[in-house]
Amino acid sequence: MRPFTYTRASDPSLAVRELAANPTAKFLAGGTNLIDLMKEDVERPSAVIDISALTLTEIKPIAAGTSKGGISIGGLGKNTDAANHPSIRQHYPLLTQAILAGASGQIRNMATNGGNLLQRTRCPYFYEVAMPCNKREPGSGCGALEGINRLHAIFGWSEKCVAVYPSDMAIALAALDAFVRVKRPNGEERSIPFTDFHRLPGDTPEQDTNLAHGELITAIDLPQNKFADRSYYLKVRDRASYAFALISVAAALEVTGNTIVQARIAMGGVSHKPWRALTAEKMLVGKEATAENFKRAADAEMAAAKPLEHNKFKVELGNRSIVLALQMAMNGGKA
Amino acid sequence: MQDKNKLIGTPVSRIDGIAKVTGKAAYSTDYPVKNLAYAVLFKSTIAAGNIRSIDTATAEKAPGVLAVITHANAPKLNVDGGIRGGALLQSPEIEFYGQHIGMVVAETFEQARHATHLISVTYDKKEPKADFEKLAKEAVPSRDKEKADASRGDAKAALREATYKVEEVYGTPIEHHHPLEPHATIAEWNGDHVTLYNSSQIVNGAQSAAAKTLNIKPEQVRIVTPYIGGGFGSKGGQWANLVLTAVAAKQVNRPVKLALTRQQMVNSVGLRQRNYQKVSLAATKDGKLTALAHEITTHGAIKNEFIEPCGDCSKIMYDVPNSLITYRTVPMNVILPTYTRGPGKSTGSFALESAMDELAHTLKIDPIELRIRNEPERDPSNGKPWSSRTTVQCLRAGAAAFGWEKRKAEPRQNQQGNYLVGYGVACGTYPAHQRPTSAIVKLKRTGNDIMATVELAAADLGTGTYTILTQTAADALDLPLRNVKVVIGDSDLPPAAGAVGSVGASSYANAVNDACQKITDELLAKSGKQFYARPTAAQLMRSEKITDYQTRIDAKPLESAEEYSAHSFNANFAEVTVNRFTGMVRVNRFLAVTGAGTILNPKTARSQIIGGNIWGIGMALTEESVVDPRYGNFVTRSFADYHVPANLDIGDMDAIFIREDDQKANTLGVKGIGEVGIVGVAAAVANAIFNATGKRVRELPITPDKLL
Ligand SMILES: Cc1cc2nc3c(=O)[nH]c(=O)nc-3n(C[C@H](O)[C@H](O)[C@H](O)COP(=O)(O)OP(=O)(O)OC[C@H]3O[C@@H](n4cnc5c(N)ncnc54)[C@H](O)[C@@H]3O)c2cc1C
Repeated sequence: MRPFTYTRASDPSLAVRELAANPTAKFLAGGTNLIDLMKEDVERPSAVIDISALTLTEIKPIAAGTSKGGISIGGLGKNTDAANHPSIRQHYPLLTQAILAGASGQIRNMATNGGNLLQRTRCPYFYEVAMPCNKREPGSGCGALEGINRLHAIFGWSEKCVAVYPSDMAIALAALDAFVRVKRPNGEERSIPFTDFHRLPGDTPEQDTNLAHGELITAIDLPQNKFADRSYYLKVRDRASYAFALISVAAALEVTGNTIVQARIAMGGVSHKPWRALTAEKMLVGKEATAENFKRAADAEMAAAKPLEHNKFKVELGNRSIVLALQMAMNGGKA
Repeated sequence: MQDKNKLIGTPVSRIDGIAKVTGKAAYSTDYPVKNLAYAVLFKSTIAAGNIRSIDTATAEKAPGVLAVITHANAPKLNVDGGIRGGALLQSPEIEFYGQHIGMVVAETFEQARHATHLISVTYDKKEPKADFEKLAKEAVPSRDKEKADASRGDAKAALREATYKVEEVYGTPIEHHHPLEPHATIAEWNGDHVTLYNSSQIVNGAQSAAAKTLNIKPEQVRIVTPYIGGGFGSKGGQWANLVLTAVAAKQVNRPVKLALTRQQMVNSVGLRQRNYQKVSLAATKDGKLTALAHEITTHGAIKNEFIEPCGDCSKIMYDVPNSLITYRTVPMNVILPTYTRGPGKSTGSFALESAMDELAHTLKIDPIELRIRNEPERDPSNGKPWSSRTTVQCLRAGAAAFGWEKRKAEPRQNQQGNYLVGYGVACGTYPAHQRPTSAIVKLKRTGNDIMATVELAAADLGTGTYTILTQTAADALDLPLRNVKVVIGDSDLPPAAGAVGSVGASSYANAVNDACQKITDELLAKSGKQFYARPTAAQLMRSEKITDYQTRIDAKPLESAEEYSAHSFNANFAEVTVNRFTGMVRVNRFLAVTGAGTILNPKTARSQIIGGNIWGIGMALTEESVVDPRYGNFVTRSFADYHVPANLDIGDMDAIFIREDDQKANTLGVKGIGEVGIVGVAAAVANAIFNATGKRVRELPITPDKLL
């Protein structure tokens, strides 16, 4: 950890201006990711602006705008509160499941919703400063490309970076077509569709998201949907809790009779961003909700996977996980 | 003697429990030493080669920095003084990734850590030897005589002739001990004497290694370690942090605290090495073993060898006329491997007991029955009679308690919804030894109240040493528990065995018992009277109006114990469910049945066994330290990557002890339980997974990808 200045923001407008004025300043929310990375010397902010006292914590109905009729959750609300809010449990059980599948009770009590979206990759080459990593140090190379890459990407990676994005919550938000509401340094607000929020690595893996420096996540908007009865978050991991996903699948179906009207599938543990399985989704719409159709959709989606040396299993595991998650969603979450 | 005693064998709650849960128990870094400075180590970022230059100028000028110590300015230490793993800042040579190459001492921890980031190092790199898969081919016989090829009969010939056999290679990964309390030291010099507050499983060993390495006399070193936050072998031998803290304290002329970070633990304090184990079994059609060969390939550090004895279980477990055990090893650029819970036995039993399960499957014999058919009457390795051996009772009692009859003999026959269910069994063993240990007993009378203090340089890893010694002394002196005080964990006390290799309980409890008997004898003699029944020490203190009395004993193992082969034995039972889509495994139920002589305290003993079982489940399913062979570094540096089981991974755990009165092993009949709890566990889980899925995984850990 390097010396830094610490200030406590009391007002969102001041916070964004303060951050924008210093290109090496960082917001501090729950601190469960930023502080760890500072201790490891990965993040080296010159100034830390503590936003944890901002009152952007409400969970409330959305009255106007793109997500009218849905629910908005505050950017600085705690993960635990979002997961357990009665309206979220009732209308967005997928989100509850995904949040509760992540980290541990203690960490979720500290972690904020905005911070969760911006948590950085768990790639070990990113974490150890002596290793090459283009995300941490552009131009230094990718340690994982030809290294130990069992946990790495099978979709959308580049020669520059094969890291995966670790959040569980975000996988559900991608499936739910959420919007990220941000406040800009000039005081304006903008709303970013969730699938445009995170990026693929391309030639600039140092940028995880399309958020500009100085922008503050004020809320996450969840549009209304008809998925609540048929959704499931499946997380496959190396131990039963407190491990990041090998593969996760957020599946949500809207079904009339046995015909699929709408399907949403997002995958975690496979890419630099939450991976919307659009090929599979398209194949399912209008079809019967059967094991065969689930399998066909999974096959089509996974056909495009490009595994690395140690993660070939993710192609088969991803395929099975899509099928299982869809089945579980159909059964209302019961095995 | 069990019947006479009132406290030994009863489930007394931990004497130190309240101190621990209220934070009053002081661990190494908790000592309120005044005027502390803080040291932070910095480490090499290559695995082989030499340091060309270290630029410390910026760090030295950073705020709060008192000293930067590297090989260029460190005092000369004795590298052969008994500190394991080198890294003593004595030369520019790099032998493994993450070797300590220096330390910063500063006014605060944060200042010291910050300054380590301001140091720049250049190296002359060499290609590291870090790819075990490739290096295994170059492995050669060990330099250690104990690891020479050991054969009885002609195993290879018997294998050639056999119709029924199993020949497979089993792999176990590098594991780390990762005790919850990382290694930490406070060093405080007083003239030319140094006190080292440092977690040490072997108090006197730490004292002697520190003294020799620092080129001073043992009496100039005091080790203080009343509480240890786990060690599992990594605090048995001592590592560079112990003496480097003393070096730092000398250099800045004030007390210094040094604590390793979790990330630093992976290349500072040893590891369990990677092993390939080829096990070959031959048997008659009805399951009588005719040959057992256990051929081990492993690695050491680049200069020093350490081999965990993976063949030990195979030496004594089964009655087999032809046996062969061999070790081959290859140097690698990793920190020196060391003893890790159930050293050799936990890993060796994974190979042997998986192979036994494979043989049972081949022969269509129940795996419990197969083991019973090969139960040896005497120790097959040396012909000695057992001091006691209850493997068969363990298997039978376990089968009954676990509901073994519900197991389907054929694999993949028990499907419940999305899950496949399976049962597995595996045996384990660990030697039982008593080691020389001295102890002082002090009695003090105030009116009719007698207080006893028992002192010895024993160590309590958190397992319950305080509690069992209080029970032992209270019984031997016929005093209530609250009138006994146990003082341990200090090298100023009489020398004692280490809390290692499952010798702690038997060495300490027998020494304390002997000391208490001796003090009673002495008081009796001193009284000059004849008594109809032997009076207690307390009665004598009162009747003879003595206010203070003490005695010391240097307890030794029974000479007659040499005539017997003494080991603890167990049988482990696992029920697993495997998600047939995802390959995720859960151990729903686990039962360990153990025959380990006198169980001094069934409550702490149960915790010990269950703790060992849980690590065994971790070994089976989750734990692995992964090396990137290009750099020789571990990519699994924290608990986010190195997966020990979490609460949710653990189902119902149960422990049963078979009653054994084994006065042949030692006076109190204590055989030890610290290590045996992990032995056989991984095989029981792997065998259950085979029973559930029909898939035999021979490479640990059994992560979901291996079951697709
Ligand atoms: C051991 C461990 C295990 C974990 N396991 C999981 C898991 O299984 N699944 C999972 O999903 N997560 C897991 N996590 C990650 C955890 O969910 C994140 O650390 C947490 O959500 C981050 O939230 P925070 O508020 O603490 O963020 P902080 O650490 O405070 O901030 C993270 C980043 O976001 C920025 N930031 C924070 N808030 C805002 C805002 N409102 N606007 C703009 N920028 C902002 C900060 O500047 C910083 O760069 C784990 C973490 C740990 C330590």
